[in-house]
Amino acid sequence: MAKRVFQASNWTPTATADTTNLANATYMALQGGSATQNINVNEVMIEGLAGSSSPTILQLARDSTVMATPTALAAPNSDGPLNPATAALAAAPVSAVAAGTAPQRAATTTLARLNFSLNAFGGIIRWLAARGEEFGILGNTASNGEVSLSAFTGGTVGAVSAHIVYEPF
Amino acid sequence: MKQREGYLQIDHRSSPGLTEQQAETTRLPPQLLREGKMLELATLTCSHCKTVQIKNPLRTRERAHCPECDHYICDLCGIAYRQTSVCRPWAQVVEDVQSGRTPVPVLARPV
Repeated sequence: MAKRVFQASNWTPTATADTTNLANATYMALQGGSATQNINVNEVMIEGLAGSSSPTILQLARDSTVMATPTALAAPNSDGPLNPATAALAAAPVSAVAAGTAPQRAATTTLARLNFSLNAFGGIIRWLAARGEEFGILGNTASNGEVSLSAFTGGTVGAVSAHIVYEPF
Repeated sequence: MKQREGYLQIDHRSSPGLTEQQAETTRLPPQLLREGKMLELATLTCSHCKTVQIKNPLRTRERAHCPECDHYICDLCGIAYRQTSVCRPWAQVVEDVQSGRTPVPVLARPV
């Protein structure tokens, strides 16, 4: 029960429709570490890095198909505790930007989804939840057990860096 | 910001921002997403389904509220509550999954 930050540096999302495989390295996905793990997403921050105007429709959405055989993160991407004294988790949440079975963003209109549209040419978006008002992830199956940050169709997507602060329980 | 409100910042001060057409997808006023603009907004989180909504400061309709968990709930959960009077906060959903009472998350309304 300690806050962690999952970040990916300088990656380029690809505009992808709902319920379609997200290509490797075009998303950030966070999945519960067990069938009963509860995770609160506290903060999402996205910084645009594109060199020209790039309207980018990023969304933090629940996945109707969760990733399988995720690839371990490689530098400069990372996922670690904010406090270095944090003990290792028995069931560590799974954070990945690539997987053998790709995640798919859910199209269900009654599922929670955060919209982060920005111009990646210098645009910045930050969402910070109040205490107790976090975005929840529960378990590790669709659709409440995984969220992904990826680009919805439209715009001319540009490179971004992003971090997700979350707290597994 | 009030105690239960989240904070959303959209900063296009050093960016061309979004065009009117692009901004329409966000349901936010396009003039606030243009080049040079920085927008700060409050967000509300539904107690029952954890959906996060941008608070519309111009809204005159009442916002849904669950009298049992004494918390803001989103419009969809508000409709469900009016129909069923079932309060099933997210904390209860989590507890039921973790205790094995429900194998998958069961919200107060159908998803």
